Amino acid sequence: MAMTRDAAPGSNLPAVPTEGREVVSPIVVPNTLWRAADPEAYDGGQESDITHLREYDASGAGRRDDGRWGGALDVIPTKADYVLDLIRMNSLWPLLSGLACCAIEMMSTATSKNDMDRWGMFPFRASPRQADVLIVAGTLTTKMAGPLVRLWEQMPEPKWCVAMGDCTCSGGRYKRSYSTVEGIDRVMPVDVYVPGCPPRPEGLIYGMMKLQQLVKERRGHWPERAIGPTVPEDV
Amino acid sequence: MTTTTGRPAERQSDDPRVTLDRDLGIFEPVPPYPPRTEREAEFYTLGDGQMFLNMGPQHPSTHGVLRVVLKLDGEKVVDLDPVLGYLHRGVEKLCENADYHQAICYTDPLEYVSSLFTEWSPVIAFEKLMDVTVPRRAEYIRVLSSELNRIASHALFLGWMALDLGGLTPILWSFIERDEIVDMLAALTGQRMLFNYFRIGGVNGDLNHEFMSRLGDWMSRATEQIEAGNGLLNENEIFVRRMRGLGTIDSKTALRMVMTGPNLRATGVPFDVRRAHPYSVFPELEFDIPTRQEGDCLARYLLRMDEIKQSLRIIDQCLHQMPDGPVMAKLPRLLRPRPGRAYAAIEGPRGQLSTYAVSDGTDQPFRMRIHDPSFIHLQSVGLLMTGDLIADCMAIMASLDPIMGGVDK
Repeated sequence: MAMTRDAAPGSNLPAVPTEGREVVSPIVVPNTLWRAADPEAYDGGQESDITHLREYDASGAGRRDDGRWGGALDVIPTKADYVLDLIRMNSLWPLLSGLACCAIEMMSTATSKNDMDRWGMFPFRASPRQADVLIVAGTLTTKMAGPLVRLWEQMPEPKWCVAMGDCTCSGGRYKRSYSTVEGIDRVMPVDVYVPGCPPRPEGLIYGMMKLQQLVKERRGHWPERAIGPTVPEDV
Repeated sequence: MTTTTGRPAERQSDDPRVTLDRDLGIFEPVPPYPPRTEREAEFYTLGDGQMFLNMGPQHPSTHGVLRVVLKLDGEKVVDLDPVLGYLHRGVEKLCENADYHQAICYTDPLEYVSSLFTEWSPVIAFEKLMDVTVPRRAEYIRVLSSELNRIASHALFLGWMALDLGGLTPILWSFIERDEIVDMLAALTGQRMLFNYFRIGGVNGDLNHEFMSRLGDWMSRATEQIEAGNGLLNENEIFVRRMRGLGTIDSKTALRMVMTGPNLRATGVPFDVRRAHPYSVFPELEFDIPTRQEGDCLARYLLRMDEIKQSLRIIDQCLHQMPDGPVMAKLPRLLRPRPGRAYAAIEGPRGQLSTYAVSDGTDQPFRMRIHDPSFIHLQSVGLLMTGDLIADCMAIMASLDPIMGGVDK
């Protein structure tokens, strides 16, 4: 039985028999365009053993739960990841979820004068199942904390969180109250903080552009993020 | 029963705090405790063919974080149970621990689309406590800026109401108005939403050139612009037919439910705090109190649009009658009023907004009670929605125009 040429000794990936159906030999183009931020990603930049999506599927390497393609294919996934990130970056769908005052400024950001649409942050989705970004706009109270975390968990990966306003960043003017959560990073991870009480629409747009940059540079990705205030090791 | 390990004694089965064995989700409409009242027991018992539908707390058309448990028979709402408190920030308690200047800052975000009004009512109450006379120019500036804020609030109402009925265009139009007004007010006060502009004894700053030039520019085209925005809905047959006769309430019931403001005036009662219990310089100004007889959603909508025209009239008069003089009374920095109590009511965009303040002679209010019209109006949703369809719930809720910041405080 003819094996694929990549069935290297010691490889635990199942080789897919081709039985002479292989008309052309696969062309492997080395990736010179894009380098992963994590040097360990994509098998440490090694040349891949898998050249066909069929083999890739059979290997199970693509089934990662962080919404990214696995690191087996050399060219296609890396470039595809790069393209996917560009797509994600330019079509961030926020969840239509306002808690308090900041929600009005969030709506103002989305409507005529400060048109957030122009940067590809358009359709405010009413369902968390269809949303990419959770803009937490307004004071988070202890009673609302449970439902908000549940909303966050209902959103599919990859997802990002923007804390809008002083109340969500640190507690703001209601920090001393008995019924508020002092910053949403106590209950969920946050990618971008936009301070202000409330921030101007321009401020939110700036924060969302920072988030786009973050998406593009692959920083702050799930599941490496920690929940709660992070404390350095040596403290 | 004593325990040695410090664990609390086991709860008995008749203990009202006892919880159910099942792990109930937070969105499940069944309360995680045995029913406490007869009403609760009756509500959470399903009849034949009935079902629960949970609306909120995250729902685009509850205008914030309101949760309503609907009991449905088919598509008809049989009964409903609003669950409040998702935005309870403890404002009244915070005000007791702040001095009189700081307390105004906490009341700002109560009704966040019309912050100047939620500032104004405690400011008047504190001024009554301290027997402060406010300069006339400051009073005129207060009326001028707050009427601008009323227009912004009603413009938002127009947009939201159409959005809840499925129309996206009016909100784009009304936010143009709103953004122009808040930018204007930002030139005056320094903030776009939570202004913190009214101070005890006056206002924070005098009118400046940028504000006046923006205001003059806007006033010259305000009427046409607002008319154009209204034309989107007033001449829309789908909208008008949908709203007419929906959520009707008669004047007697409205008075019994302590409704005020536009919602009451839409039933034909010409009650306006600005005329009934005049404050500030409203006795010197000329304006009508628009009323409608129908008491349905359409009447509430049209009445607010009439109010915008009256607000424009008031702004025009303010600009013509504005006296010269100081904008702030001379006051000591630390305010210690004599022990006493004061009550002040104003006419907000949603109705009567009042504050009751008690002083014990220190520099902090001993007690501050804020009466917000949103909360009062929300208690009539049970009356209005029962018997209607689910789709009409949104329209009725939007026409009452509650702001959850004011409801939960």
